[in-house]
Amino acid sequence: MAPARASSRNNSLLLLLSTLAMAACTTQFEREYAEAERWRAAAAAAGHEWIETSRLLEQAEATADAGNMDVAFELLGKARFQAEAAVRQAEREAEAWRVRVIK
Amino acid sequence: MNKTAVMLTSILATSLAQPAAIAGPEEDRAAFVRYFQSRFPDVEFDEFANGIYAIDADSRRQWLEIEEFPPYEFAIEQGESEWQQTFANGRTFADCFAQPSDSIRAMYPRYEEARGEVVTLEIALNDCRAANDEEPYAYDAEELIDLTAFLAFEARGKAVAVRIPADQPGAIAAYEDGKRFYYSKRGQLNFACSDCHITSVGQRVRADRLGPSLGHTTHFPVYRSKLGGMIGLQQRFLGCIRDVRAKPFELQSTEYRNLEFFLAYMSNGLMINGPGARK
Repeated sequence: MAPARASSRNNSLLLLLSTLAMAACTTQFEREYAEAERWRAAAAAAGHEWIETSRLLEQAEATADAGNMDVAFELLGKARFQAEAAVRQAEREAEAWRVRVIK
Repeated sequence: MNKTAVMLTSILATSLAQPAAIAGPEEDRAAFVRYFQSRFPDVEFDEFANGIYAIDADSRRQWLEIEEFPPYEFAIEQGESEWQQTFANGRTFADCFAQPSDSIRAMYPRYEEARGEVVTLEIALNDCRAANDEEPYAYDAEELIDLTAFLAFEARGKAVAVRIPADQPGAIAAYEDGKRFYYSKRGQLNFACSDCHITSVGQRVRADRLGPSLGHTTHFPVYRSKLGGMIGLQQRFLGCIRDVRAKPFELQSTEYRNLEFFLAYMSNGLMINGPGARK
């Protein structure tokens, strides 16, 4: 096999693998984004959404669109953490507030 | 049957016979007043209308100096001018209210059975505009805040008298919702309104002291020195919610209206002394 043909085949293979990896990463991001958004919506429905969660989700999406997936996942992780903590807070406060009432 | 068993049986029978007592608004209010009077035994009940100035001598001295030339005077004048303004149809705000201008502020917030919700003074004023084919104001519009400043000034010396009739379950539900909101922790800082304005009342948050919730609603709207302008009570709610890093609700949302309803009820009997001046 001529060296030029082998090099071209390797490049195509690398491009294919890179495209597949990017597609997998994007799919994973979309899945995790949807999950984080579900938690945020649940916190909002309970009246307990925290102030930064929506902004973090927007930033994560914009960062992913720009192709910086490591940072995008990091931002998404923070948003998910906040949204889930807000839901737990709402669940806890459903009864916990009563002990604070002045009697 | 031994003595302990008899006692246990008696307690059980009593607890089954009577449902768990849930404090009503008036019991809540009495306990609220007792709490602040025991925390600040040297402060007369009427003084709580002055908020932080009732419990912080240094701030009070500064405030009394500020009151020599009240920074909210322009808002009162503008509000009076708004009040007297004639709508395109020839009517005025006064035509929407059966009461004279000095008796309107004390009527709000109120629960309106027909609407099934709490109506604040801001809502009533905007309803008046809409009923006269005028565009309602944004809830943070200067014109609307000035109107409330004028009506608060007119009502000075009238007592807060929020009513929660026992035969209006909607009013009681709105009150309970506001009460739950007030005592619920929220936001990234995990704070309830009560954490600052009951538990930590009088303590410092950076350079300022936390004011008591008793009397919180009497002096709004207020001129805030740090903002260089007037704000309404619900803008202050919004600021507090943002400060504990929770997502704020819209002005005049059900959440804030019910919170205002609860807090205003807690201040029943205190005199309206708005508009006020705060740092």
